[in-house]
Amino acid sequence: MDRCCAENLRMERRVFVKAGGLALVALGLDPIFLTRAAYAVSRAGGAAAAKKTLVCIFQRGAVDGLNMVVPHGDPFYYRERPRIAIPRPGLAGGALDLDGHFGLHPALAPLEPLYRNGSLALVHAVGSPDATRSHFDAQDYMESGTPGLKSTADGWLNRFLAAQHAREHQDTPFRGVAIGPQLPRALRGATPALAIDNLQAFGLRAPEPARDRLTQAFEELYQGSATGLVAASSTEAFEAMRMLKTLAPDRYQPGHGAEYPGGPLGRSLKQIAQLIKADLGVEIAFADVGGWDTHVNQGASEGQLAARLTEFGRSLAAFSQDLGERMADVVVLTMSEFGRTVAENGNVGTDHGHATAMFVLGGGVKGGRVYGDWPTLDPARRFEGRDLAVTTDFRDLFGEVLTQHLGATDLSSVFPGFRGVRPVGIIPRT
Amino acid sequence: MAVAQRLLFTAGLLLLPVPAPGAGSLPSGGAPLPSDSTERARALHVLNRLTYGPRPGDVDRVVAMGVDRFIEQQLNPEKIRDDRVEDRLKPLEVLRLDPEELGRIYLDEVRERRQGRPLSRARKLAAEFQQAAVVRATLSERQLYEVMVDFWTNHFNVFLGKGADRFLLPDYIEHTIRPHAMGKFEDLLIATAHSPAMLFYLDNVQSVTPGAVPPRPFGRRPIAEQRIPKGINENYARELMELHTLGVDGGYTQQDVVNVARVLTGWSMRPPRRGVGFVFNDWAHDRGEKVVLGHPFPAGRGEDEGIALLRLLAHHPSTMRHLSAQLCARFVADDPPDGCIDAGVHAWQRTGGDIREVLRAIFQSPEFWAPQYRAAKVKTPLEFVVSAVRAVDGAPDTTLVLAQIVGRLGEPLYLDQPPTGYPETQDSWVNAGALLERLNLGLGIAAGRAPGIAVNLDQLIPGDNDPSQLADRVNREILGGTATANTLRVLREQAASLPPAQARIMAVGLALGSPEFQKQ
Repeated sequence: MDRCCAENLRMERRVFVKAGGLALVALGLDPIFLTRAAYAVSRAGGAAAAKKTLVCIFQRGAVDGLNMVVPHGDPFYYRERPRIAIPRPGLAGGALDLDGHFGLHPALAPLEPLYRNGSLALVHAVGSPDATRSHFDAQDYMESGTPGLKSTADGWLNRFLAAQHAREHQDTPFRGVAIGPQLPRALRGATPALAIDNLQAFGLRAPEPARDRLTQAFEELYQGSATGLVAASSTEAFEAMRMLKTLAPDRYQPGHGAEYPGGPLGRSLKQIAQLIKADLGVEIAFADVGGWDTHVNQGASEGQLAARLTEFGRSLAAFSQDLGERMADVVVLTMSEFGRTVAENGNVGTDHGHATAMFVLGGGVKGGRVYGDWPTLDPARRFEGRDLAVTTDFRDLFGEVLTQHLGATDLSSVFPGFRGVRPVGIIPRT
Repeated sequence: MAVAQRLLFTAGLLLLPVPAPGAGSLPSGGAPLPSDSTERARALHVLNRLTYGPRPGDVDRVVAMGVDRFIEQQLNPEKIRDDRVEDRLKPLEVLRLDPEELGRIYLDEVRERRQGRPLSRARKLAAEFQQAAVVRATLSERQLYEVMVDFWTNHFNVFLGKGADRFLLPDYIEHTIRPHAMGKFEDLLIATAHSPAMLFYLDNVQSVTPGAVPPRPFGRRPIAEQRIPKGINENYARELMELHTLGVDGGYTQQDVVNVARVLTGWSMRPPRRGVGFVFNDWAHDRGEKVVLGHPFPAGRGEDEGIALLRLLAHHPSTMRHLSAQLCARFVADDPPDGCIDAGVHAWQRTGGDIREVLRAIFQSPEFWAPQYRAAKVKTPLEFVVSAVRAVDGAPDTTLVLAQIVGRLGEPLYLDQPPTGYPETQDSWVNAGALLERLNLGLGIAAGRAPGIAVNLDQLIPGDNDPSQLADRVNREILGGTATANTLRVLREQAASLPPAQARIMAVGLALGSPEFQKQ
């Protein structure tokens, strides 16, 4: 550690002791614990490499990639979607042109500036090599990271956490955290990860003075009586509670005037932003957003899908604005289990298809581009004659984000049996 | 003491037609004799592993009747009366509906949802079915049987959230898993292979020999081209060997997987509108000769090929070892000791895979009783919730909330996506968030504000106790006397500074949330 950082650390520790140390001593905690907690707080002044975070957003239900990122330059697009196509750029309700061939759904207008300033990249025709059109199987494969193999018990994000013994992150219970009542499949496995539905509610549910007393009593109980994994997890739990307590999540003010929209995704991203800014050591954060299974009346520039995309775009834009400069250390990666049929169906909707589009936003991303080979919507080039073909294996994209952004060195256990088809090039090697 | 006897008496009424042990053999208060404490420890261990945890007085009762006799009784669930649980299940509509009716309700609502309405009745029926599992685990006197139903439910996992399994699963549990849970493994395996729930879940309904064309249904429109499956689907074939029988290292090859899939082509289900059920589609079956694990399956035997295959798998040495190891992981230790596995395998060989006999052998193995494995297994969320309710002599109330609590703790019943089923090992269940939820539930139960649970602490821990008596009493009734010195100290100290009613809530809440209570 160079001198600047050592000084930082000392200073941070002083601040910490002033802020919370006395309270901890009063709880009768041992010195090792104090050091650890101090270290966790000190990370704010630690090396830049310590702060990288990946935020994954899963669009459950299979988003219609073709109306989210519109191939307005592909003649087959308008031929196959007479009632639901997004009009050409420049027309009323038209797509927001990106590069003369693709355009954003107009509801995603809040993301357009991020594309223009080069922090947002898109990947089209990305997906799984497995042919399944079952939500159940395809989500399973995208989260286990092993398409076609159902017996994989853990998720790719958890295996990443296990493989990567990040010195900077392992001393925090927040290293892998999902916003929601349960851990998503992608984060499940042997490495501890935290599922938090609501930062404010994480802790013992009791009125304030009783809560502190109960927490203290349980902590004594676990420190003196627990062994093994139960003891380790309890330490994480009490530490997380303490770290969150100082956060005062109910009084959180997003930075730079950012305004999150109502709805679950905005709520999740707001909490993730708060955790990141509090320097709790979040390396992987995960949030779900549903409502993409648009079989019926999906609408075009307005309607059902447009409403979902509005929430989606505003949430991502607010997150980026909230984090401000911190976005340099953060990458947001969106994913969905598959795309939808090229042709609209008899119910003015779309059915389960194959490839879709994904967003990559944030630090180090070479944005302002749509990545991936465009297979065209020519029926002869479609998957099984009907769906957008996959030209980018999702593992190539996910793997690149892990190596280029989080510094993973070996993906053999994260995506077992996958050697990589080809780099996407979305985050250049630094 | 009077209250303790009343509890015992109540328990006795609910119990089994086995003659009640003489009251004189009950341990009377005061310090137990050394042999007495050994027997109590044995009884506690058996209650921790063969049941969903002791209720107040259960340890005394098992000591009184004899530990071995209790095991024997639990191995014969058909001889145990179970009126209370049957009464409690009566209001649950889902248990009275057959799969056709459930299918109709579900499909109607899916159609309605397309017009923007929620799945209300179908959701409620699913919640009822989850609650039924929790009611049975909590209140049934056939405790070992319910433990085994849970074991097989996870071993032959089916995900309630996948399409038709939303209405196929109740019938699967009631009429495929439950009747065979303590029978012959072969029968259980064959029953699961015939179940529409499993065939749908693992895609065997999609598996047809390449080029097969279904007959055009009489008087109906032909099936849309894109909906006709194009070839074999290996999914069920692979899991049948990897998970259900041989185990991942059981000695099969990819070619075996393909050939098992070929043998099972045509094993399918009738669609709901034509009466849900198993059907063997001759048109979809591969008529060629196959070889599986070196055994030839001559051409053209149709459905019988599948039966012969399932028998071969059920009695394969790899299956005996794989299943014995899993049972030992459930009943002895996450990392099952060899001695236990061997005991299970020998019993399997001797009895042709009689589950009851395999269990008996495991319970008689020295490893089952070895001190290092006692109180060493972390409870699953289901086990934790149910054992907490049982520990305070509580019961699920008439809402469907208790099953939701199990879900919130991380084990939403019947909703495990991968075919592995919920795991048995602690690393899957112990994490900071889950632990906090356990503490919250313990506190909620103690304070009488946990939704879904009816409990009365006055019966359990009556009257005024000084802090020391309270701690001892809570240790005895809830922790089976396993509290460490530290835990007893914390209970005492916390109780000392609170008025009696609050002290009791605090002590019971801390006990249910204690590290000791996380283990069985």
